[in-house]
Parts: sequence; C-alpha cells; structure tokens
Amino acid sequence: MTKEKAFDPFEGYKRMAEIWEKQMNGFLYMLTDNRETVRLMKAGLNAHSNYMEILRKNQELMAGFLNIPTKKDVANVAKLSIQAEEKMDLLEEQVWNLQDSLGQLNQENVELLKEAVMNIQQMNTELKKASIHMEETRKMNAELQELRKGLVDIKIIQVNLQELRKEIDSLKSIKTDLKHLKASKELAQIQNEIRELKEEAVQLSDIKAELAEVKKSIQAEQDNEIKMDKELVLSSAGPSKGE
Amino acid sequence: MDAKALGARFIPQFDLEKETKRWNQVVRIILEPKPDIIPTPRQSIWKKNKSTLWYHPAKNKKYPIPVLMVYSLLNKPYILDAGPGSSVVGGLTERGYDVYLFDWGSPGLEDSDTTLDVYIIEYLEAAIKRAIRHSGQKGISLLGYCLGGTISAILTSITDVPIKNLILAAVPIDFSIGIVPDKWLEGLQNGEMDFNRFADAYGTIPSEFMYLMFRMLSPVYNSPMVNLVTRAYDDEYVEKWRRMDKWTKDTASFAGAAFKQMFHDLYKENKLLKGELVIGGRQAVLSQIQCPLFVFSCSRDTLVLEQQSLPIMDMAGSLDKTYQVFEGGHVSLALTGKFAEFADQWLSTRSLSEK
Repeated sequence: MTKEKAFDPFEGYKRMAEIWEKQMNGFLYMLTDNRETVRLMKAGLNAHSNYMEILRKNQELMAGFLNIPTKKDVANVAKLSIQAEEKMDLLEEQVWNLQDSLGQLNQENVELLKEAVMNIQQMNTELKKASIHMEETRKMNAELQELRKGLVDIKIIQVNLQELRKEIDSLKSIKTDLKHLKASKELAQIQNEIRELKEEAVQLSDIKAELAEVKKSIQAEQDNEIKMDKELVLSSAGPSKGE
Repeated sequence: MDAKALGARFIPQFDLEKETKRWNQVVRIILEPKPDIIPTPRQSIWKKNKSTLWYHPAKNKKYPIPVLMVYSLLNKPYILDAGPGSSVVGGLTERGYDVYLFDWGSPGLEDSDTTLDVYIIEYLEAAIKRAIRHSGQKGISLLGYCLGGTISAILTSITDVPIKNLILAAVPIDFSIGIVPDKWLEGLQNGEMDFNRFADAYGTIPSEFMYLMFRMLSPVYNSPMVNLVTRAYDDEYVEKWRRMDKWTKDTASFAGAAFKQMFHDLYKENKLLKGELVIGGRQAVLSQIQCPLFVFSCSRDTLVLEQQSLPIMDMAGSLDKTYQVFEGGHVSLALTGKFAEFADQWLSTRSLSEK
C-alpha cells in the first residue's frame, strides 16, 4: 500500500520536463513569430540554395572534366527504367482491359450461344411440328386432290344434272304440251259430248214434241173419253132422278 | 505516527533491480541499432517506382469491402503497422477487413519532377484500381491519414473509381491556419518566403531536411527521452518507444516538384479550401465527395489542428458524414491501435454490401 502511494522522482522529473519543454517551445514560438525571423529564414534559405546551386554546377563541371557520372546522370538512367516500368504498367493495364473485354465478350458469346442453342432446340421442335404439319398438309393435299377430283365428278354430275334438268325441263314442256294436248282432246271430247248432248237434246225435244203430241193426242182422247163419260153419266142420271 | 514512518511515505524506497533494469535499457537503446518493424502478414501486389501496394489479408474475413490506407508523403507509413499491439493495420485485419496499405516510398533524385498530380493520379488512383481488381470487389474504403488524408480527399473529389467510404484522420484541409507562427504563415502566403529555389537546388528534398522541418515545429524535443527514462523498466513500453523513435527519425524524402506544388497550391494559395485546386486537369471540389465520410481529429494534435480538418465537414457533398475527436496526439492515434477500433465501429455497417 505504501509502495503505491510512494513518491516517484521520475514522475516528477517527467512532469517538470514536460512543463519546461512546453514553455521553451512557447518561448521560441513567440521569439520567432515576427517578420524579421521570416526575412532571416528567407535570406538563409536563399543563401543555402545559392550555395547548393553553385555546388551542384561545379560538381557537374568537375565530373564532366573527369569524365565520371554524377548522381544526376545516374538519376537520368533511373528515369529510363522508371519510364520502362510505366510502359510495362500501361501494357499490363491494356492487357487487363483486353482480358476484361475478352471475358465480357466470351460471356456475351456464351450467352449468345446459349440463346442460339435454345433457338436451335426451339427450331428443332418447331421443325418437328412443321414436319407433322407438312405430313398433315400432304394428307390434306391428297384429300384436296381427291376432293378436286370429286369436284370434277360433281361438276360432271352437275353438267349431267343440268342436262338432265334441261331434259326434265324439255320433258316438262313436253308434258305441258302433252297436257295442253290432252286438254284440247278433252275439249274436243266435251264438244263431241256437247254435240252428242245437243243431238240428244234435239232428240229429246223431238221426243218431247212427240210426247207432247202423244200427250195432246192422249189429252184429246182423254177429253173424248170424259165427254163420253159425261154423256153416259147424264144419260144414266135422268131415270135414276125419278125413282 | 513517528518520523520514520512519515518519511517512508514520502521518500521512495530504492528498488535496485528496477533501477538497474531501467538504466540498462536506456544504455541498450542508445547503443543498439534501431529495431526491425515486424509487419502484419502481407504480400506486395504492385510496385511502381519506389512505391508499393501491400495486401494484408483479414484473419477471418467478415467484410467484403476492403480498406486501402494511405499515409502522408512526409513520413513512412509503417507507423500504421508498427508491430503487434500498436498496429492499425493489424487491428483491422483482426476485425475481419482485408487491408491494402499504399507505401509512397522515398523518392530519389530521378523523381524530382514528380508532382502531386502524378502522385495522386498515376500512383494512388492506379493503386486503388489495382487493389479493387485484386480484391475482386466493386468498391473500396479509402482511409487517409494526415497529408495522406488530404490526398485521399482530393482524389475522391476528382475520381470515378468506386470509393465506397472515405475516412480522413488528422487531415489538414485548411492550410491558412497551422501550428507554425502566424508570421511564418503570412510570409508563405504573401510569397515572401518560398521554397522554389531551394527545391530546385536539391531536386528531391533529402529526408534529413524533412526531419529538420519537423524539429523546427517543436525545437525543444526532449520529452521522448524523458518518457523513456521514466518508464525504461517496462519492457512493453520500451519496445513501443523504440519503434516510435525509429519512425520519428525515419522521415521520407520529398520530390521537389511536389514540394513546390504543396507549398504553392496548399500553403500559399489554399486552393483546396477555395475549390480552385486542379489535379490532372480535373478540378478538385470537395463538394464532389459523395460517399459516406468519417473525419477524425485528435484533441492534442501538435501537427494538424482540429480547425484544419473541420471545414471538410461543411464542404463535402456526402449525406452520411461523421465527425469524431480522439483524446490524444497525432501519432498516438495510430500507435495505440485505437484508430482501428474507431474505424471499425464506423466501417462495420458500411462495409457489408456492395451498394
């Protein structure tokens, strides 16, 4: 317990150092936060840059005289290999692009082939159906041919029928004529009969006349008989009245 | 309580073993060479000039969309993968992400004419395309740290590469403010101080000069050594300290053309903030960033101020924007491995499907 609470000099040292560092940095910050420092830095930077430029120029010059490569020459060679690497990268990317497009194309082709296979299968099925239809059509055609033949027959029959009809018509007309003829025969017969009847009527009237004459003669005879009867009655009635 | 007991409370007990170890460690560190950084298992999938695109496969892949990390051009990126327990890359691979890390490499004299345009288009954009191709996914999450964040934001605003998510950590967007004295900034902005002649004289700015630049930002810099002495008995701390120490002194060189462009376009003209920056013939307007955006700042950052990062929150055109502040410094965010935790929290819901 006492150990935990014990004072650690390093902790104190650490805190002190932290505070000191912070304060020192703050102090330096404030000390340099002015235009003079900026100008000083600018001058220092320019002087250093100037020195470096001269140094590099002289290095190049000396190396040129000595005919030895400088770091710049090595860098130039390195640049070539970097360029080659970049080209390789570009080629690799192009190969990838080709690979991708080929892959895509392949996929599209596979899909197209699948579609084509499906189409072929469908066409096959349709072909089978079509052949069946064709067979049916052929049958139908044969039937049609037969029908056509039948039709021709029917036409012949029709022609025959028409002829028959014509014949019938002619027969009908003949019949009509016959009828007419028949009718005229009957008329003649009737006329004959009428004539006969007339003759008979004449005969009848003759008979009537004869009958009338007979009747008259009978009447006359009857009248005579009556008169004779009356005379006989009258003659017989005179004596009987006095009885 | 007697005087002895009272004294025992305040006067530290001398622990000989601990003190021997402490000073032995200090001497060892001073005398021994810098440690080797053991990276998370990785493989190089692309190299261009000095740059390398590393692939760190996930231990148990949980998320389809991989993460590509970009570090600053000024320092070396192994701070993001500085060994077990302090690796952002390792943290993300353990959480189920495939991670790609883009290492810019240190330019040589032959790269003196490499501009920011070349870095952004020919290096980073190409690397992202290759990472996407390697992953077999349709998009990627881009994570930019420090100046790598600025470059990532610029690229996202101009590219048609499918960047699904953008994470920017300790990112400088507004260069009109900074940690250097105001008069220095004024001098840079009014052209009184420029690095053109200096950059031309050197071709490629040597790494030593870059280290000097960092030292000028905090001239009194004894805290790392004080921290070491204070905790030199702790093996774990010493290991982390050695890795950090190595990284701090291991700055990268800088291509002269990019150096000039950075100071002219960003520090002097502040073109990114004004939407006037043109990269590869394309105008970098931050409102063109449409993907989900996560911006991360450090409250005790002595290199990039929080105010420098904030403008992107208003400027980005993304509908899904998150801003978070980490209680720590610029480097501790990476070195503690906390960054992987925060990034995972935000990324996990955005790395599942290829929307």
